[in-house]
Amino acid sequence: MADSVIEVVDVHKSFGDNHVLRGVNLRVEKGQSMVVIGGSGSGKSVLMKHIIGLLRPDSGRVLISGVDITRLDKKHLYEIRKKFGMLFQGAALFDSMTVWENVSFALTRSGMKDREARMVAIEKLRLVGLRNVEDLMPSELSGGMRKRVGLARAIAHKPEILLYDEPTTGIDPIMADAINELIIKMREELNVTSVAITHDMHSAYRIAGRIAFLYEGQIVEEGAPDEIQNTSNPLTKQFITGSFEGPIKVEGISVS
Amino acid sequence: MLRFLALLGGIILRFTETTGRVLLLLLQVIKMMLIPPLEIRNTFKQALEIGVRSVPVVLVTAVFTGMVLALQTYTGFKRFGAEALVGSVVALSMTREMGPVLTGLIVAGRAGAAMAAELGTMRVTEQIDALETLATDPVKYLIVPRFISGLVVMPMLTVVADMIGILGGYAIAVWYYHTSSILYWKRAWDYLELSDLYGGLIKASFFGGMIALICCYEGFYTEGGAEGVGKATTGAVVISFMTILISDYFLTAWLIA
Ligand SMILES: Nc1ncnc2c1ncn2[C@@H]1O[C@H](COP(=O)(O)OP(=O)(O)O)[C@@H](O)[C@H]1O
Ligand SMILES: [Mg+2]
Repeated sequence: MADSVIEVVDVHKSFGDNHVLRGVNLRVEKGQSMVVIGGSGSGKSVLMKHIIGLLRPDSGRVLISGVDITRLDKKHLYEIRKKFGMLFQGAALFDSMTVWENVSFALTRSGMKDREARMVAIEKLRLVGLRNVEDLMPSELSGGMRKRVGLARAIAHKPEILLYDEPTTGIDPIMADAINELIIKMREELNVTSVAITHDMHSAYRIAGRIAFLYEGQIVEEGAPDEIQNTSNPLTKQFITGSFEGPIKVEGISVS
Repeated sequence: MLRFLALLGGIILRFTETTGRVLLLLLQVIKMMLIPPLEIRNTFKQALEIGVRSVPVVLVTAVFTGMVLALQTYTGFKRFGAEALVGSVVALSMTREMGPVLTGLIVAGRAGAAMAAELGTMRVTEQIDALETLATDPVKYLIVPRFISGLVVMPMLTVVADMIGILGGYAIAVWYYHTSSILYWKRAWDYLELSDLYGGLIKASFFGGMIALICCYEGFYTEGGAEGVGKATTGAVVISFMTILISDYFLTAWLIA
């Protein structure tokens, strides 16, 4: 109990009539690598945004190292945010800045001089396998490179918790595997706690210490990768085998 | 008829809701302005951006407005022998009305549209969320610098527009109609009061702040991808135009009183 870094307790969230999260419970221990799987539009990104306090739940609590962030004012929330690094689905690099300015953004914001910040940025870029890109603009990068720059930015301020929103979606399989490799490396070298969300099962098995399945606004199953692989839950089974037939119905299509 | 009323009610409801939310944003902006660090580097960058985007169009618009004012006044006033007053009409119209309003419309159309599009793109590509995750308040980082720039740069542009407009009027009155050059300046100067000038600049500053606020609001709360950015941008320009033209009347009435 003392060692849970992230604890999501009975979180509900609606957007208008769209009841996205319906009582989510999730616990992530220190140093653990949690992967949340679920279909497109099932609320994975919404859940992640609750963990880092970008969204506030309608009800329920989100505890980060024991602190309920849903009740914090802005100032304290920003303090807690410094514990986090987040890689966004589309990388969300700042278009108007060079690569190194992106990577060192949090550092220059907290007062580091440009010269030093640039050096740190170059070092972080090396860590994600990029060289001689520091003076390029984000628009000059490929999708896979953008994700790696996004990762370098997320780790620049030495966060304790890393969040990955669909790290392998939208890039080719080889680049995807390189990203998986990097995520594992981050955990081993930086010793961080991480949460990744994905619908890519191949990636999930590669990077996960634990897997949780989000379905219809709740975590329906949670366990080690081999437990999930040998699950008896028909919902999970259908999802991880990627089968069209099963209890989960695809709207508008029927086979008869 | 019932449908019309429902439509009208909907519009009024949306109008009051939007106004309320813009005012809330204004309060947030003011609060953030008072908390250090001041975003000085950022503010300069934004001020330059607004200036650079708007200056060429402001120059062309102002010179032609001054010219057409002189043209109209000369031909009109000649009917009762008052063509010597061209200078004062141009000077008064430019400083009190045309300078601030036209500059406002141009800044809204160029710099304001750019603000809405830029912030809208940042919203839909999650760059604004990314700012938050990097412990940076997006209102402070993105909106405050634009708001201050709007307040400061609009009067500066308006002074330029006033001067260029008066020079445009001079060109027509003196070079085209061959009236006396000395008389043009004398009339322009004699009937111009300091209050005309700074009244116009107060308007300009107000317009500048409103443009920045409205366009940032539209961009900041964009929803729905690239299409949403387009909608936010046109919405920002239309609302800015209306706000300038409507508030101009009330500001003028207040300044005169
Ligand atoms: N800011 C928002 N406003 C309204 N609806 C939203 C918002 N964010 C997400 N949603 C809705 O919540 C649902 C889940 O979205 P999301 O978490 O992005 O799914 P995914 O599991 O693919 O990441 C979707 O129906 C989406 O339209
Ligand atoms: Mg998502």
